Amino acid sequence: MRSAFRSGIFTWLVIGIFLVVTLVPFAWLTISSLKTNQELFSNPFGLPATWSLANYTSAFAAHPLTIYLRNSAVASVTSTLLALAAASLASYALLHKFRLSRGVYVFLIFGLLLPVNAFIAPIFYIIHFLGLYNTVWGVALVYAGISFPLSFLVIKTYMDTVPVELLEVSRLDGASYHRIFFNIVLPICVPGIVTAAIFLMITAWNELLFASILTQDQNAQTVQVGVRFFLTTYSANYPQSFAATVMSLVPTVLAYVFLSDRIIAGMTAGSLK
Amino acid sequence: MATKPQIALYLLPAVALVLGFFVIPLLFIIYMSFHQWAGLGPATFMGLDNFTYLFNDNSFRTALTNTLIWVGVGTFIHTPLCLMVALVLSRRPFMWKFFRTIFFLPNVISTTAIALLWYFLYHVDLGLFNKVLDAIGLGGVARAWLADPNTALPATLLPWVIYIGFGMVIFLTQISTIPTEFYEAVQLDGATSWQQDLHITIPLIRRAIALQVLFVVGYALKMFEYPFIMTNGGPANKTINLSLYIYRQMITANQYGLSMAAGVVTLAVGTALLSIIFLVLRRVDS
Repeated sequence: MRSAFRSGIFTWLVIGIFLVVTLVPFAWLTISSLKTNQELFSNPFGLPATWSLANYTSAFAAHPLTIYLRNSAVASVTSTLLALAAASLASYALLHKFRLSRGVYVFLIFGLLLPVNAFIAPIFYIIHFLGLYNTVWGVALVYAGISFPLSFLVIKTYMDTVPVELLEVSRLDGASYHRIFFNIVLPICVPGIVTAAIFLMITAWNELLFASILTQDQNAQTVQVGVRFFLTTYSANYPQSFAATVMSLVPTVLAYVFLSDRIIAGMTAGSLK
Repeated sequence: MATKPQIALYLLPAVALVLGFFVIPLLFIIYMSFHQWAGLGPATFMGLDNFTYLFNDNSFRTALTNTLIWVGVGTFIHTPLCLMVALVLSRRPFMWKFFRTIFFLPNVISTTAIALLWYFLYHVDLGLFNKVLDAIGLGGVARAWLADPNTALPATLLPWVIYIGFGMVIFLTQISTIPTEFYEAVQLDGATSWQQDLHITIPLIRRAIALQVLFVVGYALKMFEYPFIMTNGGPANKTINLSLYIYRQMITANQYGLSMAAGVVTLAVGTALLSIIFLVLRRVDS
């Protein structure tokens, strides 16, 4: 009994400590983003005297946040669609066994373990060569490329559960290679594709390194690049940069509030196999 | 039967992406690591000079050491914390699902935003750390955490160490697959929950632990935002790592050959660490 009591204390101590270290910084950031610069120094712990979104509206005025947010959205959606299309098509092709299919499979996932930040120079040149430097499309294409192996692994794993008999029967019914893909395999694989999509959207939204080396002006820069400018330009207006930071993380957190289980599954999907 | 052209057509986009973003870059950095190149014009063959330069360059050696420190801290401090929280939540205390959701939250937030947040937390005048220390009478300990050479590296590591959500979920998922019968026998013998964890749960999730260490290595090798945003490698290169070094040689110094040679070293370090993980796992398995 005594040890059960002790382990109860331990359980709640661990939970309590990690709740505090996880939540307090974000709470502090959000509350501070509602304060005035003066208040931030004079009253660091308390709630703001007046609840005002002034820092948020002034953040939009100080930097083109709307454009950054739009670029992030375009890059995330485009790269997700590209990676999903490439991964689904390839997974379907590999449902058919042929002489080199094992080799192709290994070829398609070998990038999984490579630290892509070692490739910033060649990728920079490839994007230049394609005429996509300083465009949001270049950023999107790179995201699709570097996250392809994991999206492929997730979708392939799911597609392998489609029974071979189903494909055989459809073939005997006269359905073509393309028909079987679009009308039978793809609908069955929607859950796997959604899992990959969640992971792709979130990683693309949050990426910084490639977005910063592939773009140089605001019409192509994403919010992760742009949010840093609140620190480096002008004399720092802290509550305003807090507000900008909050806005950069609101979209993913909001999605997480509604879809937490799916997002957890999506982001850890790479660990399934 | 599907024809060869049909299959090839469906493989085309995937093969193009892998060629463009993995195969060509990989061959390119290996080739260029033996050259001096300013990014434009012809490259000059230098043999192993780039590598000799790197290993004589103090900032590169620090970058390499710091990356290995990240791997070490991730493996021996961060991962045990993930495991501890997973074991605690695996007994399904009241509202455990809710806590799991909260602990995972930092993983959906960009590392950029987290790095900025901690930059603010550490701020010498307005940061939460110094304000709390002041309030509890420890104002003497307060300092510019990110500018102090003694605290800068631990300070950039701390957020990663305490955000245990990702590893915790990997462990929890694995633990949930262990049949309860495994525990029943030892429970009759009066084994405490700690003994059950040590003798049953931990050995059974060893593959998940290896996987988590694999993620730690990947994370440490790719980590860019924390040093870039919080310290930009400073003070006096105390917090630089391989990613930041690669970035700096390319963007700031225009030394493309050196940057790519550093990339090759990063790949080699990754391969070496990966082999160690697989060797250890095989040892434990047999």
